[in-house]
Amino acid sequence: MKDMSRRSFGRLVKACAVAGLAVASLGATMEPATAFERVDGGKVLVIAGRQPVSTLDPSVKYNASIRTLQQALYDALVKYDGNPPQVKPWLAESWEQSEDGKTWIFKLVEGAKFHSGNPVNAEAIKYSFTRTLELNKGPSWMLSDFLKPEGIVVVDDHTVQFNLEKPYAAFLSFLPWWYIMDPAVVGAHVEGDDYGQKWLTENEAGSGPYKLKRFDQGTLYEVERVKDYWKGDGGSNIEGIVYKLIRETSAQRAALMRGEADIVLDLSPDEFDQVAKAKGIKTSTEPALTAFGLKFNTKGKYMSDKNLRKAVAHAFDYDALVAIFNGKAVLQTSPFTDDIKGKIDVPGIPRHDVEKAKEYLAKSQWPEGGIELEYVYVQGLEVERLMGLVLIDNLKPLNITLKMVPLTWPNLVARGSKPETAADLMAIFATPVSVDPDAVAYQYHPDSWGKYYGTHFYDNPKVTELIEKARYTTDWEERAPMYAEIQKLIVEDQPEIFGMMRKRLVAYRDYVTGFSYTPVRMTSEVDYYGLGIGK
Amino acid sequence: MTDILDTPAEPTFRERHASTIRTMRLYARTFRNNGAAMIGLLIIAGFMFLVIFGPSIVPYPEDALGATHIEQKLQPPSADHWFGTDEVGNDVFTRVVIGARVSLQIGLIITGISMLIGVPLGIIAGYVGGWVEESIMRITDIFLSIPGLILAIAIVGVLGPGIGNAMLAISLVWWPGYVRLVQAKTLSLKSAIYVDAARSMGASKMRIVFVHILPNCLSPIIVKVSMDMGMAILYAASLGFLGLGAQPPFPEWGAMISVGRNYLPDWWWYSFFPGLAIFLTVLGFNLLGDGLRDILDPRGRE
Amino acid sequence: MLQMIGKRSILMLGMLLGLLVITFSISHIAPGDPAALAAGPDATQEMIDQVREEYGFDKPLVEQFVIYVGGIFEGDLGRSVYTTRPVAQDLMVYFPATLELVIYSILFAIILGVPMGVISAVKQNGWVDNLVRFVSSSGVGLPMFWLGLMLQLYFGLQLGWFPLGGRLDLMTDPPTTITGMYTIDALLTLKFNVFFEALHHMVLPAIALSFPALASIVRVNRAEMIETLSLDYMTNARAQGISKFRMIAAYALKNAMLPTLAIIGLRFGWMLGGTVLIESVFDWPGVGLYALQAVTASDFEPVMAVTLILGAWFMLTNFLIDIIYGILDPRVRGRA
Repeated sequence: MKDMSRRSFGRLVKACAVAGLAVASLGATMEPATAFERVDGGKVLVIAGRQPVSTLDPSVKYNASIRTLQQALYDALVKYDGNPPQVKPWLAESWEQSEDGKTWIFKLVEGAKFHSGNPVNAEAIKYSFTRTLELNKGPSWMLSDFLKPEGIVVVDDHTVQFNLEKPYAAFLSFLPWWYIMDPAVVGAHVEGDDYGQKWLTENEAGSGPYKLKRFDQGTLYEVERVKDYWKGDGGSNIEGIVYKLIRETSAQRAALMRGEADIVLDLSPDEFDQVAKAKGIKTSTEPALTAFGLKFNTKGKYMSDKNLRKAVAHAFDYDALVAIFNGKAVLQTSPFTDDIKGKIDVPGIPRHDVEKAKEYLAKSQWPEGGIELEYVYVQGLEVERLMGLVLIDNLKPLNITLKMVPLTWPNLVARGSKPETAADLMAIFATPVSVDPDAVAYQYHPDSWGKYYGTHFYDNPKVTELIEKARYTTDWEERAPMYAEIQKLIVEDQPEIFGMMRKRLVAYRDYVTGFSYTPVRMTSEVDYYGLGIGK
Repeated sequence: MTDILDTPAEPTFRERHASTIRTMRLYARTFRNNGAAMIGLLIIAGFMFLVIFGPSIVPYPEDALGATHIEQKLQPPSADHWFGTDEVGNDVFTRVVIGARVSLQIGLIITGISMLIGVPLGIIAGYVGGWVEESIMRITDIFLSIPGLILAIAIVGVLGPGIGNAMLAISLVWWPGYVRLVQAKTLSLKSAIYVDAARSMGASKMRIVFVHILPNCLSPIIVKVSMDMGMAILYAASLGFLGLGAQPPFPEWGAMISVGRNYLPDWWWYSFFPGLAIFLTVLGFNLLGDGLRDILDPRGRE
Repeated sequence: MLQMIGKRSILMLGMLLGLLVITFSISHIAPGDPAALAAGPDATQEMIDQVREEYGFDKPLVEQFVIYVGGIFEGDLGRSVYTTRPVAQDLMVYFPATLELVIYSILFAIILGVPMGVISAVKQNGWVDNLVRFVSSSGVGLPMFWLGLMLQLYFGLQLGWFPLGGRLDLMTDPPTTITGMYTIDALLTLKFNVFFEALHHMVLPAIALSFPALASIVRVNRAEMIETLSLDYMTNARAQGISKFRMIAAYALKNAMLPTLAIIGLRFGWMLGGTVLIESVFDWPGVGLYALQAVTASDFEPVMAVTLILGAWFMLTNFLIDIIYGILDPRVRGRA
């Protein structure tokens, strides 16, 4: 028995050893891949994020990931740049507006071309604006009250004139989000009366610094650089950029550390602090225009009670918000964030005060509490989850329980689109599209109901009237006090818990160059132009 | 002096239950000799100690109920916090200990519901026979051929995440095991001599079931329950890990690992200790169950 | 023999039908309007009504079931709201990934587990045996996902020997799809570096997935071998002078394999369930991860389809094991 088992045992050990060595040698020979090397030469940057891109069509939709690609594939008349954000010439090299603010004339640059080779001319401008206005989706809301397609006039090949219905001081500030499409290409792919929407979902007809290379829905989106981009390469030396979906933030961090991703967008504040200490990693901590609110459903069963809203708003521990971000956040002192023109510090904005909270609760319909509120937040977003946990703790003295419901972003937006389905509290990061106060104030106008930032269904006719009046006024001296009044009224009505301005946290490998930043972009939105690799 | 004609004295407790006592001593001795089973017993004893005395001995009881101390978050193991703190500053040790109680509740509820459904069905199937048995056994087979975790996920998926729904879902996955076991045992008992005797004496079906069959099914059921406790806890932890079971701030081990995953590798203690706890508990129940099976049902195999 | 196969086949078809009934019932206990759920969160009222008509949600349950089954035979497993593609199409992409992982895992468990059980039984109470007994006892209780995390942490992040997830490196193109299993496709298209890379990515997930099965197989095999080795006919064989190797392999193992085979079958089922956990930890794009993402998005069609496909697969495997059992054990052949 002994020699027999020894022999077979020996054989087994040998087999295991060989297998083990083979596996280990595989491990040793395979170094972690450096993201920017490709088999056929040329360097590709890899950006990791969690938000998928559902469509590329500039007239249909925009969010952080979508607009990142739209900004890379398309151009607009002007572009936001710098901190504080400023409107810079892009497809338009100069412009002038009339005294009454109703007529704007743009002169286009010479030599701008679409990827198809067609020139970017005034016809294309008119076509693109018309398309967005007629489809009435995406960015259309920004201008639809003021501009009709008939008001866009092609003066000559390189001059286009916009005749607004009413004066609109903020007109220019919205233009960077209106991307210009190639009429010939879109026209060639129209199906029935869809205006080309089906084709533009996964294809592009732009003139931007990048072309679309691969659109792998739900997995990755690859663009390649247009080497002869009409505006020059902006210092970029890469072949292209891959936006890869990595949903777990811990996996994003691991990818960054191993060199599998060059830029990551969604690290939690704790993960961010850890990678900041690591070798070979640079981080960017920038202030942003993004506001955060725990929006109350003011038409819902519980939150229609203003005293209850005030009670919850005073029970909340605002300092915890800053602690969650490891200090990289500043509490809001107004519904407007600090960079918005005309923002004032609203006196009496709620802070943590349990006594006051109880006072308000006593005046509400549920003086003893005893109710359960629903808190909906974005699944996977750790900071919002933490806020929920803090809120559960904070509401205990009021004898109110909280049910935390994580939802994917599309499901959250869908629920928040109707007052019957919106939750009592919804965690919403809202980045305004410009520094003009109208961009934020308008979120409190009934027209915003149904949008993700309008889940409060706020309804105050006086505020609505003020907002509309301020829009059409061109003189800033007259507008400013109106906006001050609006801010005070909104705070008084308490349609949400006004949160904080979090700093943008982006981590990237130190060989990434050309990473620029402007506060008006959304939290995980990146400007591809000028990104490169250096040492 | 006692006389053969005297009525015998009332038998003492020891005499009346002599055979039972002898059996128990045999069990104890066999069990003691089984090293692995003793380890299992030790572990489970420790577990039960935590379950019963846990809430009184933990240093930060409010941490198990959702108190938040964000300033203290993510601190490594130290004298103040033996297992470190988690992302809202809760003491991980406290939550792991309270989690023992939670796990036991989960295990008991799941095995309880499964038994409630499975045992009666098994007895009916075994005793009644015929097409009733066929149909019950076929349905059981179908359930058993769906991988358990997938079925549980599907059920929780439609009902919505939450510890209640998770327990319900796992019970629905678990009951077929009991049906199989009890049916087989009932089948073999049905033709036992004493059952025949009872029937011939005119005992009703109900009486036969409750007095003769059910008690004799008990030992394999006990073995199965002790093995199952560990597995039920593992299943619940798996669902918790996937985010479908316990929701925060509920101190369930699987849910803790799920959140802790985001904090690897720098804050490893958050995932490590709950995982260790699951491992030891399931191991303990398994070893205990093995030991029980060796003494109660020596010829049974997995 | 043929009779047994025939009877078993009919039984399996019946069970598949039962499986369909179960998945159908589950999808109908979801709270809320099934048409609204199927149409997705962005749907307008008319889209919901359209879905209701298309899938027949307003018809009596029995008729709905017939439509459901009919649809499945046509290959229509519904549409995923999350990926906006037909579920059948998604499954074609994700199923081979799970198949590959599970096959390698079960093979690993068998190839390593059976010899370990044999050696452990033959060299009873030696240090190998004690080590094996410890590993196999603890293995059943070790949470698969925790093992995966720890492996990932240590061997992936700390030592850097293995990648942290995914089937291939980020920038590597997958081989042309023939079976959908990267290792096989890479070999078939002679892309050997891709083959090794795919294998490299599979090591940690496969180990984590196979561990409980490995532990179980070792345990049962060892127990069966011990029992078989002590039986009378073994003493007889030894007396007859048959070589030890032949004794172990041909006589003892063959009979010990029967319960071991049953365990392999059982463990395979656990593995199919456990693949969700491993896919989640290692970001492995298989049906488990697909179903999980669907659940978190309240998207039910994919979940039902995955339940169906994994259940059917398990039934098929059990069927095959039953046949193998019948071949190995003549006693079984006679029975129905």
